Amino acid sequence: MIRYDCLKLLAPRITDQLVVTSLSGQKIEWASLSQHPGNLLVGTMGTALGVGIGLAIGLPERKVIVLESDGSVLLSLFNLPTLANLAPKNLIVFVFDNEVYSGTKISEPTATAGKTDLTMMARGAGIEQAVTVRDLAAFEREMNAALSGAEMKFIACKIEESVTHREITRTDLDPLENKYQFVRYLERTEGKAIFRGRG
Amino acid sequence: METQLAERLVSGLKQAGIDLVTYLPETRLSQILPLLRDDSAFTLIPVASESEAVTIGAGAALTGKQVAIYIECTGLYVSCYTLVSIARRYGVPLLLIVGYLGSMADQRNNNVYAVSGAYIEPLLQALQVQFQVLETGDGLESHIQDAVREMHALKLPVALLFSGDFTR
Repeated sequence: MIRYDCLKLLAPRITDQLVVTSLSGQKIEWASLSQHPGNLLVGTMGTALGVGIGLAIGLPERKVIVLESDGSVLLSLFNLPTLANLAPKNLIVFVFDNEVYSGTKISEPTATAGKTDLTMMARGAGIEQAVTVRDLAAFEREMNAALSGAEMKFIACKIEESVTHREITRTDLDPLENKYQFVRYLERTEGKAIFRGRG
Repeated sequence: METQLAERLVSGLKQAGIDLVTYLPETRLSQILPLLRDDSAFTLIPVASESEAVTIGAGAALTGKQVAIYIECTGLYVSCYTLVSIARRYGVPLLLIVGYLGSMADQRNNNVYAVSGAYIEPLLQALQVQFQVLETGDGLESHIQDAVREMHALKLPVALLFSGDFTR
């Protein structure tokens, strides 16, 4: 299973959900598969899950999907106990675990290539429903259950390293442009002002 | 901190429209926590690291929440990365409520805090975070209002550093 195939299954299921991406490969792949205004292409390591938790708390009636990676989650492990205790019911977390720091271009292994199991760590932190999927059928099954369910989901997806993203033209969406696109979309669909202060 | 000062701080946050607070507790301003918790105007989010106080706060701010981040000043060292990579890069209004341990006016300053405190203001200057140091309750509510107005005008984090009477 590779990440791009998982994301190809997810992209057509997006209606009004908000999607937060972590860095490099999955940001590039998701941006090529989806130009939805509810995308927040964070793209920095160790930050997407926290931002996604904040979005889910701020809009408890809206489904929020976080696309994370093993290296990124390992950098911000403090997110796991916080997530466990807050447990926003509208949050789905996919962690695409390829067991390498792909961005290094030398496939330097992450801890999950060794003894570390992110699902077990999540469960230990208190995310009792954390699961691991290892093939596309299992991914699709868990994805469908998460999208239609009303509980927080933490789904670690064991994937092969892939260089698909290196063949995709990167989005030129600037972070500030992305923010305003995202915020204006929320203002339209939630019917409220987000930012205060006018010129 | 005297109870009355804690009450005024919380009241000032409420008057300024703050409705969500992410926090990692510390020693100087901790009296505000039960007050925040008991007031239904606030959503209180405990975190395990000041780094995620910023990311979670930023996510909430992008949904229209008026967010304060209550941390010890040493937490600014921990949160530098997320202040830059999320709050600054995306331009997210956040009010940093900071217990200024180790500052010269910190009434409980000692060799545990003094070195950490010495770099806080240059750090905020390097991060280009506007800040104000408050040592007394004079005009407290106005200072909070001013900081909230500033963070919305800039769409960036703004910090209030609490020392002096707030650290007794």
